[in-house]
Amino acid sequence: MTAQDAQEEARHLGSALTKGDREAALAAVRRALGAGADPLALIQEVIVPSLVEVGRRFEELEVFLPELMASGEAGTACSQVIEEEIIRRGGELKVEATIVIGTVRGDIHDIGKNIVGTLLKAHGYKVIDIGKDVPAATFIDAAEANKADVIAASALMSITRAGCREVADLLRERNLREKYLLLVGGGSLDQAYASEIGADGYSSTASGAVEQLKSLLARSREGSRT
Amino acid sequence: MTMNERLVEIFRRSRAGTFMKEAEYDLLLARRARELVHDYEIHFDSQQVCPTDDAMADRVFEAGLQLFTDVGIYHLDTQRVMKFTRGEALEALRQAPSTLHLGEGADQVIASHRGVEDSTPSLNLTGPAGQPCSEEHYLEMLISYAQEPYVEAIESGATLTYNGADIMAGTLMEVKAVQRDSATAREAVRRVGKPGMHIGDCATGMTAIGKMAASDPLNGLRPCDGRLIAQMCELKTNDDQLARVPHLINYGSHRINLMTPLTGGIGGGPEGVAVVSVAEFILGVLCYFATYHYLSITHIKWTNNSDPWGMYVLAMTGQAMARNTHIVMTDDPFTMCGPCTDELLYEVAGHAIIGEVCGYHQHGVGSTGGNEVDHHTGLEAGFQGEVARAATRAHLTRERANEIALALLPRYQDTFKNPKRGKPLAEAYDLRSITPTQEWQDCYRRAKEELTRLGLPFENGPYD
Repeated sequence: MTAQDAQEEARHLGSALTKGDREAALAAVRRALGAGADPLALIQEVIVPSLVEVGRRFEELEVFLPELMASGEAGTACSQVIEEEIIRRGGELKVEATIVIGTVRGDIHDIGKNIVGTLLKAHGYKVIDIGKDVPAATFIDAAEANKADVIAASALMSITRAGCREVADLLRERNLREKYLLLVGGGSLDQAYASEIGADGYSSTASGAVEQLKSLLARSREGSRT
Repeated sequence: MTMNERLVEIFRRSRAGTFMKEAEYDLLLARRARELVHDYEIHFDSQQVCPTDDAMADRVFEAGLQLFTDVGIYHLDTQRVMKFTRGEALEALRQAPSTLHLGEGADQVIASHRGVEDSTPSLNLTGPAGQPCSEEHYLEMLISYAQEPYVEAIESGATLTYNGADIMAGTLMEVKAVQRDSATAREAVRRVGKPGMHIGDCATGMTAIGKMAASDPLNGLRPCDGRLIAQMCELKTNDDQLARVPHLINYGSHRINLMTPLTGGIGGGPEGVAVVSVAEFILGVLCYFATYHYLSITHIKWTNNSDPWGMYVLAMTGQAMARNTHIVMTDDPFTMCGPCTDELLYEVAGHAIIGEVCGYHQHGVGSTGGNEVDHHTGLEAGFQGEVARAATRAHLTRERANEIALALLPRYQDTFKNPKRGKPLAEAYDLRSITPTQEWQDCYRRAKEELTRLGLPFENGPYD
């Protein structure tokens, strides 16, 4: 196996990811690692840009949700293989940020949340998806358990948006509000409500949520340096 | 199979079906829908948003039935797939009603199955379509719909607060809000002198507890009214939805199957979503014992259905169901723009015209795609009924409906990226007299003039 082989397999990996072909992507990533490819480079230079490209095509309506889901699934499977390899080599995978994401209590609609989760993963974030109809306490417990940086809460229906307020209130009650960035979104929310409950960020679109998060993390880190 | 036997069997299959992770089911459905679109040669042409191909409509029906039997229904609580045979699906369709009595007394209307290019005009069963409403103006909001001359029944919006506090699903606040809002709907129809008018739902209630709390023959929803039972995208149900069914059957209430298929979603492009939508109609007939159906197509990015994909799914699914079943169904325009804009009325008109020639009754309007509180009024809903009536009066064909819809599209399509959300009810109406402002009435007149030029023969309207 040569560096050229590794490069070739990386190309196959990128192609398989954009096609959402999980098995082909897994085979390519294993062959690339076997050929000596740098695991971190595979994530940063192949997986992330490939998934970002699929996300862009989805935003432009060039591909549909199934294609986004398939690519996201393939990317997650490949990332797990790479992570195991990094640990096996005695290294540690550093993530940009860890986000706990879920749909609030009472709301079982999660397609929007799933799209945001997939796009966040595509951008290299570690995403802990705690599902739908999730009580406020579970968001916080999951954030604590996973040493998360961000809590992202979604509510589609009008009478479930109060679940976002519950998350914000409970964070304050437990004196954890400053520890996490709180991002909210979903059809029943708007900026006014997000501001009212004291969320750090709000977005009405999936791609907007990613941009919002990047900006909030940058500001947060800037703030912690000064 | 009797009704009781079927109910018990639905429960049994929700517990005994194959266990499957939700993401796995989504991918299975997506793949099968794509295969069926290919196998049944279903095509989308952006210049044929209202196709005229009967054979393709029949293929869409067959593909939808095949999808339903192949992938089954996903039960979100048990994570099991509930499968039904083709024979069971067809038997349920055969048993479904073709004629309904909506409302009571002098205000009762009869909703019958409509065929493709049906010469009988549709009914307009309308309201804020589950969109967010303030509690402050909710009575005036519903009166604005009920008073319209081209409206035969009202539906409801979803209020956000109870005495200023957030309403929370599954709590006593949901029940309190539902009791208030169903009584408000009752009061609205009384105020306009139509006390027996059909009330389609109380959308503030989101859980089974909330929906059941609306059952109150005196001040709430009566057996002659209805309640929604929803599907989750795509082809998914849960115990909370199914639990409503026996209650509504015993109460004698109409059961309305709410479908919100996503264009660009799990069903893929418009062809796949048409196939998925047929399967979702069958779910509603078989598991919800639906007396009628709301097809509320939703664009995955814009939450409207006034775009070419939305119109195609409306047309194709409608023709498929109208030609191959005898069920009663409604369309449900969701728009980008809001009250006091001409664009909203053109979005509504295109949808209404296609719905009218493809077997639907009228329902809606989800103005601003549900994105703005109180940005929905009776005027656009009445206008929808008036346009639909004119379309039938003109004996519009699907071909002509396609031409008009395509002619209207450029008048609003550019707003998709920067929608004109318009004004809320309190600014679009004089709330003391509950009359549209001059500005909003001018939009109505301009839109009617334009549609008249395109060949729709209107009779007298409320704001001419």
